[in-house]
Amino acid sequence: MTLWFIRGLRRGVVTTRYPARPDASARFLPTPPAFRSRALTRETAGRLAAICPSGALRLEDRTLVYDVGRCTACGRCAAEAPAAVRSSGEFELAAAARSELIKKIPIRGDLR
Amino acid sequence: MTTVEPRVVPGAVTTFQVASPDLEAVAHDLADLRLADMFASNGDQTTLRLVWANDTLGEAGYVITETPIENGEYPALSDIAPAAFVEECEIYEQFGIRPASGKPLNRIMLPPHADLPTLGRKPRSEPEEQHAPHLVGGQAFEFPFGPVRQVGVESLYYGLVTSGEEVVDLYLFTWHKHRGLEWRLQGMTPHDALFLAERAEGLSAVAMTWALAAAAEAAAGIQPAKGAQRTRAVAAELERLYNHAAAMAALCQSTGLSVGQSAAEIALERLLRLNARAFGHRYLFGVIDVGGASRAPDADAIREDLPAAYGEFRRAADALLGTNSFVDRLEATGILTAGQARGLGLVGPVARAAGLTADTRLVPGGPYGEQTTVATATAGDVLARFTVMLAEAAESVRLIGQFLDAGTAAGAVEMPGTGGTGLGWAESSRGEALAWIALGDDGRITRARLRPASARNWRGFDDACRSQNVFTDIPIIEASFWLTVAGMAR
Amino acid sequence: MTAEELRETIARQFGRSLHIRTLDTGSCAVCEQEIRLLAAPHYDLQRLGFFFTPAPRHADLLLVTGPMIRAFEVAARKTYDAMPGPKVVVATGACALGGVYPADPFTHGTVDAVLPVDVWIPGCPPSPLALLQGLGVAVGRLAEKVRDLPFTVDDDPERTRGDS
Repeated sequence: MTLWFIRGLRRGVVTTRYPARPDASARFLPTPPAFRSRALTRETAGRLAAICPSGALRLEDRTLVYDVGRCTACGRCAAEAPAAVRSSGEFELAAAARSELIKKIPIRGDLR
Repeated sequence: MTTVEPRVVPGAVTTFQVASPDLEAVAHDLADLRLADMFASNGDQTTLRLVWANDTLGEAGYVITETPIENGEYPALSDIAPAAFVEECEIYEQFGIRPASGKPLNRIMLPPHADLPTLGRKPRSEPEEQHAPHLVGGQAFEFPFGPVRQVGVESLYYGLVTSGEEVVDLYLFTWHKHRGLEWRLQGMTPHDALFLAERAEGLSAVAMTWALAAAAEAAAGIQPAKGAQRTRAVAAELERLYNHAAAMAALCQSTGLSVGQSAAEIALERLLRLNARAFGHRYLFGVIDVGGASRAPDADAIREDLPAAYGEFRRAADALLGTNSFVDRLEATGILTAGQARGLGLVGPVARAAGLTADTRLVPGGPYGEQTTVATATAGDVLARFTVMLAEAAESVRLIGQFLDAGTAAGAVEMPGTGGTGLGWAESSRGEALAWIALGDDGRITRARLRPASARNWRGFDDACRSQNVFTDIPIIEASFWLTVAGMAR
Repeated sequence: MTAEELRETIARQFGRSLHIRTLDTGSCAVCEQEIRLLAAPHYDLQRLGFFFTPAPRHADLLLVTGPMIRAFEVAARKTYDAMPGPKVVVATGACALGGVYPADPFTHGTVDAVLPVDVWIPGCPPSPLALLQGLGVAVGRLAEKVRDLPFTVDDDPERTRGDS
């Protein structure tokens, strides 16, 4: 047992300080997308809604309805339309109401 | 009479049509091969397919026999290959066809009292609940356990029969986690199907999607580029590494060695962070694409972080092997003999620790070379499985370096969108993951068969838990198998 | 009890000592691995006063994964009913939030179809950091972030180009 104890002391503390302090490893986590309204046309939004395997995206008039709760951060929408989609970098996504995870993204790419 | 004798061609899949009356004779002819899987599909009539594997190093390949079924019956193959009993039950539930022996069949995949969609015609009568009779001198105590079990483990129902401390019988019901994946995949494109195949057994996401993608590629007659193949292999080896670290942590937890568990968990966490840096996901989701790979690894990140992460793993393993109280719990626990492993058609470290040598990485034609070292042991106990995993981890590190040096790339060869059938495979950390696919003329799935290694190896679990083990050994044996319920239940 | 009173009770009783029971309603097994890592050295949930407990009778919070497979529903309800109030239900992962399986003969598709969910944690899987944030929100120790996030990118005219 002494060997385990000494080894442990030598390695030191690996425990994160999160949530008191940010954790550097969060940088590499996959995160749900964020959308660039001015690069989003109705046609693009329709394509994105069709390829999302989770049904997290839905086209409604001039709005892309985006359910962050359903998103798996698979990256298919970003690969389909890189100009309109970027990783949000947000991983702190807990919500106390389901509706807080539904985002309305305005479609402004068709405007001139 | 069958005119062509089914033979295995190394590195290839050969398919033979066998008429129903000849199936029993053909199964006898092929008895020295491993019956890797058995499943049915619907078309103009129900077709029964058997997948046989030759595991001999240097000659490894597959044979598939296809048999149209008339009158709802086929020869009783579980008399020839005892392991086939599980598949016979599954096929009866899904297609209503049964072995001619009339032997009662168990409920296997589908929950009772549920009217769920099946892949074929529903059986005329419900399967029975038949378990092995309890052969024990004194009184036996039977109690159900689950499906809600300890914290942080999957839901699983098992019936435990003990006589005092000794385990007499252990039977599992996994239908609480049956999501109907094979039913769901019908009508999807292979690309869309990968999203669900990843989640059949998430801890084997790379292996399962590799197998399904390879099946689709075989059906279409395309091959991924070499760079993409090596990307797949790097992901598969990273998956093997983190799973073996997780198994080591589970072994420590099951034996009550908290310091060992912490040391193994530190190694596991470092490996998962490496995965996130290398491929953008801690569990390597989204790497495989049909025709290749959707992302290439960050080779610099792997070269930077892997030595330290593996160093943690190795230090934990060495300390554990030097801790007598730990090794004592593992030695002679949960023994599976080579005969049992062969009879049940087991795969992966569980089989290799009993002395079998099957490893799908050595099937010619893939990115792995002949120099891939296959780790085996002979004792067949928990300690043997642990040492096999440790040897595999060392080999994985070496292979990753080798693949990175040869060059990895993303990119996918386009699917022609035509029909066909194909078999695909990959060596997951738990053993051979198989997938078979039938594509219609529109390129969409008419039948997809997913067979993660867990679907094969759980049937060895009750044999390992009997043979003079006490029921406190059950978590230790479960950790040494390191299977998932999700992979069995699908 | 009003919603406000309930929130205060939960913050007072569970804020610094919370006992968690997990529930797998049909996951792919990866969410469970991330949850297990909460007790591992890198995350150590016990330093925050959070503890795992196998007994629903002792649990304050039910951490639920999976798409609520219909065959599992009875077991799920029994586990929830066995927990004494006040209690909190946290649905975690894309399966639990409806992102992987639709409602069909096999699954309900979401946990909130069967259990009254208080907090939803997205992710596939939610990482241990995301789980810690979710647990903090559930006991009122951390403020929510996602409510005010728009998930839009500020337009940079120089960088806006046509779709590829």
